[in-house]
Amino acid sequence: MPQFESHFFSSLIFWEVVSFAILLFVLYKFAFPGILSVLEEREKKIKDSLDQAERHRSEAERKLKEYEAKLNAAAKEAEGILAAAKERAQRLLEENEQRLTTEAERIKGDATREIDHERRKAIQEIRAQTTELALMVAEKVVQRSLNEADHRRLADEALDALTKSAAR
Amino acid sequence: MEESPLHPFELHNYVPISLGGLDISINKAVIMMWVVVGLISVLMVMAGSARRLVPGKLQSLAEMMVDFIRGIILDTMGKDGMRFFPLIATLFLFILFCNLIGLIPGSYTVTSQIVVTAVFACVVYGLSLVMGFLLHGAKFLGILVPPGTPGWLLPLMVPIELISQLARPISLAVRLFANMTAGHVILGVLFGLAISGGVLIGWLPFAFTIAMNGLEVGIAFIQAYIFTVLTCVYLGDAFHLHGHDDHAH
Repeated sequence: MPQFESHFFSSLIFWEVVSFAILLFVLYKFAFPGILSVLEEREKKIKDSLDQAERHRSEAERKLKEYEAKLNAAAKEAEGILAAAKERAQRLLEENEQRLTTEAERIKGDATREIDHERRKAIQEIRAQTTELALMVAEKVVQRSLNEADHRRLADEALDALTKSAAR
Repeated sequence: MEESPLHPFELHNYVPISLGGLDISINKAVIMMWVVVGLISVLMVMAGSARRLVPGKLQSLAEMMVDFIRGIILDTMGKDGMRFFPLIATLFLFILFCNLIGLIPGSYTVTSQIVVTAVFACVVYGLSLVMGFLLHGAKFLGILVPPGTPGWLLPLMVPIELISQLARPISLAVRLFANMTAGHVILGVLFGLAISGGVLIGWLPFAFTIAMNGLEVGIAFIQAYIFTVLTCVYLGDAFHLHGHDDHAH
């Protein structure tokens, strides 16, 4: 076999070692650091991205929970406010009703009193006017018909009445 | 004219050079080594200088390759094996490109030279021995005693383990050399048949040649991969003696 011709061995070994050494040096110095660093960088970047994504996810989850809690609280608060408002409205309504009732009562009472008063005043007025009228009528009657004889008789009657009352 | 199927493996000195009595003449295999070194250097340095976060095609390929070797190292040696990354990656690339370039008709398969593969194998195995003795001292001789061996079996087990240890560099060298040689011999034989068969029957072996060439591309990858994995395994054995001292460093 030509591969066992030993007189080529020395040159093959020499050049193999030299070529390999040169290749090793070149790759070690110029190729591997770049490739390895890029690989590591990319690995790191991917890991960082995944970490970040995970962080964002948990953050989003936390926020969602927070908002849900807030929403619940708001709903509860709204319910409370509504209930309070209802209660207040009810109270106000009742109060108003009561107030109106008392007011109405008062107005009614006032009105009754007023009416009474007016009625009484009217009666009094009527009475006064009646008396006046009666007096006027009486005067007229008296002025027209009272003559001497009448005067005498009236005086007598008055005297009679006086004596009667004195005698009693 | 009938050619020997081993003819493509013959070497001829183009430029005779002598370095202090050592013959370092330039021949086809040496030129192919230079081509391989140049090609890998240009591709990898270009890929390495791109440094884009979203890689282009070349950068992707180089990164895939680097990641692939990193995976092998991490699987077999663990994290502290990464200090051998440049050596192992260079070894993988060198062998892979030698295998692949050798498939181009008219070129030369450097790894079909037993001496080339033997040097790699010896360097790798020697490195594993040196690492083992540096890390574990004399205790590294315990690699010859599988864990849990009863004392009375030692006279039997130690020679067996010794042989299996010595077989490591030999099998490493011969496997790559034999695979590369055999593939090219088959290609040569098939192509010889295609030529001698003429148009009438020659298309059949020619079709096989094409199919075989495709298979050889796969084998080129697989053999480079196997060489790299075994390198990692041997170095890993030296690191973690029987896996006992995984926590030692």
